[in-house]
Amino acid sequence: MTKRKNFYLALGLIVVQWAASGSAGAMGEYSRLAIPQIKYRGGDYKPRPQAVESLLIQTAKRTSVEVKREFLELSLSSKDLFRYPFLYLAGNAAFDPFSSEELKILRHYLSYGGFLLIDDASAEVHSEFDRSVREMISQLFPHNPLQKIPKDHSLFRSFYLIDEVAGRARVNPFLEGVSLKGRTALVYSTNDLGGAWARNKLGHWKYDLIGGDQRQRKLAIRLGINITMYALTLDYKKDMVHLPIILERLRRYHSQ
Amino acid sequence: MKLLLAALGLPPDQFNDWEIHWALSEASWILPAMGVFFLLALWFFWTSLARVSSRPKKGLLFGLRVLAFVFFIFVLLQPSLEVKQKSAAKNAVAVLLDDSLSMSIKTLPTGKRRFDLVREALDQNPEYFARLKENYRVDFYLASEELHPARLEELDDPFKPLGVDTDFGSMLSKIQERYPENSLRGAILFSDGADLTQLPNSLSPDLEESITRFKVPIHTFQSGTNEGFKDLGIERAELADFGFVFQPTSVRVALVASSIGEKNIPLVLKEDNKILASKIVEIRPGQTRYQVEMTFTPEAVGKRIYKLSVPLFAGESIESNNASEFQLQVVRDRLRILHLNGRPSWDTRFLREVLINNPKVDLLSFFILRTLSDDVAATTGELSLIPFPSNLLFTDYLYSFDLIIFHNFKYAPFIDKKYLLNIKRYVENGGAFLMVGGDLSFQNGGYRNTPIEDILPVRFQSTPGEIFQESFQLLPPPRFANHPLFRLEKDAESNLRAWRSLPVLNGLNAGLIPKKRAQVLAAHSASGKALPVLAAMKSGKGRAFAVATDSLWNWNFRSVGQGGSGRYYQKFWQNLIAWLTDDPETRLIQIQTDKEQYSSGEKVLIQFKVLKEDYNPDPDRPVKLSLRSISKKQDLLSEELKTDARGEGVFEFQPAEDGFYSVKVETERDEEILSSQAEFRRFSQTLEFERPLINAYLLKKLAEKTGGLYQVLKTGVDWQEPTFPDRKRYADARSKTVSLSDNWWAYGLIVGFLFIDWWLRRRAGLS
Repeated sequence: MTKRKNFYLALGLIVVQWAASGSAGAMGEYSRLAIPQIKYRGGDYKPRPQAVESLLIQTAKRTSVEVKREFLELSLSSKDLFRYPFLYLAGNAAFDPFSSEELKILRHYLSYGGFLLIDDASAEVHSEFDRSVREMISQLFPHNPLQKIPKDHSLFRSFYLIDEVAGRARVNPFLEGVSLKGRTALVYSTNDLGGAWARNKLGHWKYDLIGGDQRQRKLAIRLGINITMYALTLDYKKDMVHLPIILERLRRYHSQ
Repeated sequence: MKLLLAALGLPPDQFNDWEIHWALSEASWILPAMGVFFLLALWFFWTSLARVSSRPKKGLLFGLRVLAFVFFIFVLLQPSLEVKQKSAAKNAVAVLLDDSLSMSIKTLPTGKRRFDLVREALDQNPEYFARLKENYRVDFYLASEELHPARLEELDDPFKPLGVDTDFGSMLSKIQERYPENSLRGAILFSDGADLTQLPNSLSPDLEESITRFKVPIHTFQSGTNEGFKDLGIERAELADFGFVFQPTSVRVALVASSIGEKNIPLVLKEDNKILASKIVEIRPGQTRYQVEMTFTPEAVGKRIYKLSVPLFAGESIESNNASEFQLQVVRDRLRILHLNGRPSWDTRFLREVLINNPKVDLLSFFILRTLSDDVAATTGELSLIPFPSNLLFTDYLYSFDLIIFHNFKYAPFIDKKYLLNIKRYVENGGAFLMVGGDLSFQNGGYRNTPIEDILPVRFQSTPGEIFQESFQLLPPPRFANHPLFRLEKDAESNLRAWRSLPVLNGLNAGLIPKKRAQVLAAHSASGKALPVLAAMKSGKGRAFAVATDSLWNWNFRSVGQGGSGRYYQKFWQNLIAWLTDDPETRLIQIQTDKEQYSSGEKVLIQFKVLKEDYNPDPDRPVKLSLRSISKKQDLLSEELKTDARGEGVFEFQPAEDGFYSVKVETERDEEILSSQAEFRRFSQTLEFERPLINAYLLKKLAEKTGGLYQVLKTGVDWQEPTFPDRKRYADARSKTVSLSDNWWAYGLIVGFLFIDWWLRRRAGLS
């Protein structure tokens, strides 16, 4: 009887919520999560054109975050850049170095609250894109180099509990990042995350995984959602109120 | 002399002495300079007459020039003549009565106070003073850190010694200054010798020097002895300037004990009549000073007054030091804020960043990361999500929060509706509640006809609520230019510029209707309607606020993109939190005193200010100002006053006694009593009780080194009469000063001598 009551209650809540959100409509379009892709010179700035939309669809489906699914692309000099606190930079080949003005804008963007996810879609170790990215970051933060993100970082527990790093490929078993005043403002993946997320118009996976099974894709999607959640909630999951439960789950997770 | 006085128009018979004063007489260089100048002038005069062949003529001209020059120098030095009438007068004897606090200490075995022994001695020897007055002028002084002339018959009976800092060296210097020309021929000192500047059995070099300079006898009378001196007292309490509420704080207490024997005594710390801490102190013979550390936990914010006490034993010489009060400013350690977020968004993220980086805020935040309709595609064990502890938050811990924020938060199904009533009661009892807009807020959050709607400054038009999608600029209305919420910059012009520099907002919860008691601080006009954006309301003892948009984050990140910074966004939130948590700076009635502690005799300056609801000055507002002695739990006065044109007022008060006082100002507006309170303390120095023992050595030495007598006052025992040298002297009675240079004949003689010189040379055909 109790189970049935809970079921009806849950069903009722879902219906009410659907009705409420459907009728209220979106409020403040810019408050919804949109992830513009950075346009740059040289190379291919959108090697996985469906990647961001696919990630946003999964984010909307799995979490409470409201998203804006349209594909957006911006250059660093765009006046709309600061409307979007989350940027995605992807590629699979070398790209032209950013101008000093573009570097200045990006440095400003990241220092004052912006977040940048860089994704190497080449699936190669020490790729041309990788060289361009590292060169760009060394100019962007000369005194704050890329560092491996430790496994106890909030990125790995912002929604899912994750202990493996993967994308379409497994080039490196880690993420790298740049932290500014305790906040990780830049995350760099060399595993082609976008390739694992992207679906075609029929909803099928667009790219095959390299040397992995569907668990690898599942991990890549979960990592994408965690990165999104981290950008939106920062170190929320490190608040003391969450720690005991998370640590207990991690203990069980690792003991399996 | 008589001729000179007559020439100056002064009656010669009224003056019998005179003296000449010169200007610049204190400049040591002037005489040698004058000498050199005079010699040069002589040489010049003589050589300039070289062409005069007749020696008598040359001598005459030279003489005339020298005379003119001498008068010129005379005028330059501005001499003045002081004529005096001197008459015979008596030399003086000073009788110094030590009126320091230590003279109020009881002496054993009679139980009389030290000053009472002095009074008794004076009363019992009137003949001696009568005889003394025949030959000397006898001046009585009350002496401790200051010297006050006194008339014995006018002293209070019993007299209350209140001096706080006995210093014999300073006392001797001051008495000498009062008697120029050696007219003081001696002093009689009645004292306990308890000079705070002197170590036992020694004289400081400074005091030695003062005694040497005194040169006339000081007869010392010691009042009381150290025999059987018994005391247990609290010397002082030391603690930090402020403490945190519900956080243990410690106080270091210094105790003094003399002739108490071997006892274990309780040291008790109370607030009002509630014991907060107590400690047993083991008093042992041979040890006079004790340090005790006590820890207690303040239970309320504000200036709290605590009382320390030790038992009073029979026969104690000092009774007033067995209890001592002290004050502690108790503050909240940090503001505890509960931040509930209906979903992760840029607005919630940037606000969380502001709150978590504010060192004054203790933040507990919850984000609803998934709803019942979300398919997480994972087991619970693979998720970092935790159950929402609504029961704990809204029952057990509710009153530990200073502010609750519902940020685009729909309460169902996470919070049971019954807890909304708890939140309403929490606000009505003094809590603070803020709802920040978004599509999960207000009526869209399901709050229509709930206790939350009761406390919010807005009610809801319909469900679901309409969303206004356009962009709009938010500026503070001119009426609220002084409202603390809008204070981004200090001066009005910069402040308006700051608001104009902020990016536009987008998205607004429409369908919110301000309540009658609400204050709409900012609204946006659309379709002929004023849509409230920021609205505030007092609800019971607490405050509630509505922000009808979830796009304030634009003031942070987009502002950076426009060349600004997130500074104004942070300031806005600081202001809003300060208003919601009733920060003293945001109160409509404020009162303060110019100091927190006043020594006896000082006036307390009380200033108060009353503001209207829009934070503009409230002129001519009737206020009631009342003063209360906290220490005595007694109302002292109540005054009906009015604010001035600036909404301010002042009041002066002189506390009659030591202790803690509170001053409260209140006014009634719209059936609401606004009030504010400040506390202050009047205190007397108690250093005298730190070294209360009789210093016989000092009194003996003072007498011995000046050729005086040292005696101990004893009831019923005659004293050896002090004697003094030089009965008579001459003293000035009247004087008048006349300038000798500032008159017609001084200048006339100079001109006359020069004219004769010129006339003689002309007659002789000289140039």
